[in-house]
Amino acid sequence: MTRGVRWSALGVGLVFGFLLTASGLGDYDTIHDGLLLQDPYIFLMMGSAMAVAFAGLALLRRRGRTRFAGRLSLPRQRIERRHVYGGAIFGLGFGVGATCPGMTVAMTATGGLYGLVVLVGLLGGLWLRGRVEQRQRQPLSTEPETSAATRVAVGS
Amino acid sequence: MLDLISAQLPWWIAGPGVGLCVVALYGLINARLGVSGAWLATIAPVEGWRPEPWRRTFLLALAGGCVVAALLGPPVRLHGYGRLSEVLPPVALVPVLLLVGVALGYGSRWAGGCTSGHGMSGCAAGSPDSVVTTATFFSVAVLITLGLHALTGGAL
Repeated sequence: MTRGVRWSALGVGLVFGFLLTASGLGDYDTIHDGLLLQDPYIFLMMGSAMAVAFAGLALLRRRGRTRFAGRLSLPRQRIERRHVYGGAIFGLGFGVGATCPGMTVAMTATGGLYGLVVLVGLLGGLWLRGRVEQRQRQPLSTEPETSAATRVAVGS
Repeated sequence: MLDLISAQLPWWIAGPGVGLCVVALYGLINARLGVSGAWLATIAPVEGWRPEPWRRTFLLALAGGCVVAALLGPPVRLHGYGRLSEVLPPVALVPVLLLVGVALGYGSRWAGGCTSGHGMSGCAAGSPDSVVTTATFFSVAVLITLGLHALTGGAL
């Protein structure tokens, strides 16, 4: 890993973690009230994040290059059944627990130690899915798919 | 702890900030920002494959960012799990949260991403699989939450 890559992951990770926590996404009530459609905060946050990212990526596409990793290639994958099945199971956990893999870290850091229980389950669930894939003799998914075949080079 | 930042950043700061994180990671290292992928990298040694090295750095930085926000924010105190820990005694809450974690892990690996990887980064890039996964998990989560609200007579 080059220095540029390491510092990039470090900087973006720090800011991302800070924002997840400072926006209260580590609190059960913030997410739960959002999913109850009683508090628009999470939808406004997610919507504005997507809008900014969408605009930023439009600029990035025109540039076509990344700072430390050569040509820009953004993910573009066709829809498969697993996206619906996996999404539904994820949604079950998201609905009952009002948390997700990132928010659980924020929850734990702010003193919600039950987050550790969710994290243990999370690692177990990731591992379990790997076992099922091995049983079905599928190649292990190492999400997200970063092989060249599943990405589209911009401008090609 | 230092109470330098309010309990919840306004959505119009947190949302665009998170959006910029997504753009930055694509633009710097050509990578899709995703937390479940970072967690998956931690179990890669158990499964015998090598993850991209930036993922571990990202996860550690994410946790660091969460801790920084917790230290700058309102006093950190140990707490339960919002209204869920008022409805369920610990003896029931722990297994439920473990299963929540399993669903999050299993579902995100099956679908190839979570709220960040598919929900923000993939959707902003316009990847069809991300749009379907995100629509699925948000719909399921809202339905589950509304169902729990009705079943518990409004306690949740």
